[in-house]
Amino acid sequence: MDKPNRLGLLSVAVLAAVVLVAPLVVTSSFAIDIFIRILLFSFLGVAWNLMGGYAKQLSLGHAAYFGLGAYTSTILQVNYGISPWIGMIAGGVVAMLASLPIGWLCFRLRGPYFTIATIATAQALMLIFLKFRDFAWGAEGTTIPNLGNAPLMMQFEAKSAYYYVVLGLLAVGLVITYAIEKSWMGYYLVAIGEDEDAAEAIGVNAPSMKRNIYMISAFLTALGGTFYTQYIYFIDPATAFSFNISIEAALVSIVGGIGTLWGPVIGTILLETTSTLLQSWLGSSLGGLQLTVYSLILMAVILWRPTGLMGMVTEAYQRYVNRRPARA
Amino acid sequence: MLETVAQAVINGLLIGGIYALVSIGVTLIFGVVKIVNFAQGEFVMIGMYISFYLATQFGIDPIVSLVVTMPVLFVIGVLVQHFLIRRVLGPNDMPQIFLTFALSLLLLNLALMLFTANYRTVHTFYSDEAFHLGGLYIPVAKLIAFVVAMILSAALWVFLHTTDLGKAMRAASQNRDVATLMGINPNRVFCVALGIALALAGAAGSLLMPFYSAYPFVGQVFVLMAFVAVVLGTLGNVMGALIASLMMGVGESLGIQYVGADSGLLVVFAMLLLTLAFKPNGLGGGRVR
Repeated sequence: MDKPNRLGLLSVAVLAAVVLVAPLVVTSSFAIDIFIRILLFSFLGVAWNLMGGYAKQLSLGHAAYFGLGAYTSTILQVNYGISPWIGMIAGGVVAMLASLPIGWLCFRLRGPYFTIATIATAQALMLIFLKFRDFAWGAEGTTIPNLGNAPLMMQFEAKSAYYYVVLGLLAVGLVITYAIEKSWMGYYLVAIGEDEDAAEAIGVNAPSMKRNIYMISAFLTALGGTFYTQYIYFIDPATAFSFNISIEAALVSIVGGIGTLWGPVIGTILLETTSTLLQSWLGSSLGGLQLTVYSLILMAVILWRPTGLMGMVTEAYQRYVNRRPARA
Repeated sequence: MLETVAQAVINGLLIGGIYALVSIGVTLIFGVVKIVNFAQGEFVMIGMYISFYLATQFGIDPIVSLVVTMPVLFVIGVLVQHFLIRRVLGPNDMPQIFLTFALSLLLLNLALMLFTANYRTVHTFYSDEAFHLGGLYIPVAKLIAFVVAMILSAALWVFLHTTDLGKAMRAASQNRDVATLMGINPNRVFCVALGIALALAGAAGSLLMPFYSAYPFVGQVFVLMAFVAVVLGTLGNVMGALIASLMMGVGESLGIQYVGADSGLLVVFAMLLLTLAFKPNGLGGGRVR
């Protein structure tokens, strides 16, 4: 197992180098915009995957935390002039705290009904932000004041700066996932995902494990929300709590490979590339085309490759490894 | 004051009949096949578009077009079970949830491409008619929809309790393994369950058409309502889903009356969250059916 590990480390190093210099080589703002989308949705997928992939708690309501993160930092910035860097962490903490009562309610249900309950909580939060306009601008939303180049307020002249911010987020998400995967917590989560009753029978404290991983997942998702708002300079309940955010976070993980470190990243690269190509070929005139294609890809993965793209890669690698001793 | 409450309750009950058709379908599929059909609302949408085109192209009344939408959706249900759902039945939740979820996304976005996001309405001679009872106002189209919905629910109840196939379905929902040992072919029973559930969704679509607009996202309103009603009425319980749907309709209607026109859904979510907090097994409490 020594050699494949060195190989893995080498490929990660090469990948890191390519990703770090990419915005210096590719200067087209259209391309950097696509890179940023890929990194952001990879990050959201990684955050979702911690709970959805390892513990198999299939949430379709992560937009709740995305929106809470976005709104916390924006309210702090616009009303109190506090830097979004601080607001980002504050948003994460708010999301973490919100995940406690939401989890308390939703974890009473299992399987599909857990999923439905998470959808309902995210939608309810959106409705609350739509309705109470003295609290936060209501349905019109607000624009973020443009300060020009103000790195301390998370505003940059160069698009590539945003690229590095979201790249940093993704790196944090991947490191956390890696650490959890290698820890006892990772094994407990997988056990809960395989069979919750059996896991509890051998002494895994499932409710506390699920609560903890939900808090971590919510915290990370909220960071993505703050970043997105700073990037598009605008916030309203429909974008911040968009159901599409919840869908995409789950989708990229499932297509890429649920419960794997790199699955969400690979899934996002495939889906975002497909959607960009489709848009450039057919124009964005056909509303609904992107999600039509996404849903077909999702169905194909579920029916033929439930382990996702990572599963295909692992199987191919296994075949390669199994063949090698014959030659040696 | 009393009259306003009575009016809100009547409005709620009438629309609750439509919710009942959708949630009975959801709970029937859940009870028999043990999956949640996230795409149920999209089949309501398909029913609405079929009725819309029959009405605008051939001048067929939406209520009459029930005789088309129900069989068509029954067949679609059998096909969906046979070619899609059958392949993901197993101990693992993930494929089941995301297969029907993907189906919902697919149908919704195909509809967006084929029919655009425009609202389509059918105007019938009874669309604007209403009975006046004292100070109360009862729209004819909604009353017809409610009555037909109740007849269909009653017919389903009779089917489940008196016919062999219906009893086989109830047996399969109580214990699939034992039912299989008794010679019940599970896939055949599942196909019929999906067929009936989708036919009910299609019926809901046709019944809605005289007083409700068809648009690609229309199903989401109803499916959300149905999911709440199904939890509230205890999973898999047809009678529970019916009663809970009527309650949801009334709750929504009172919410619109007293909290604000945009708060109907908020009240529904509040009801869901309260249900989860205090009665996670539904109002029935145990596993009744």
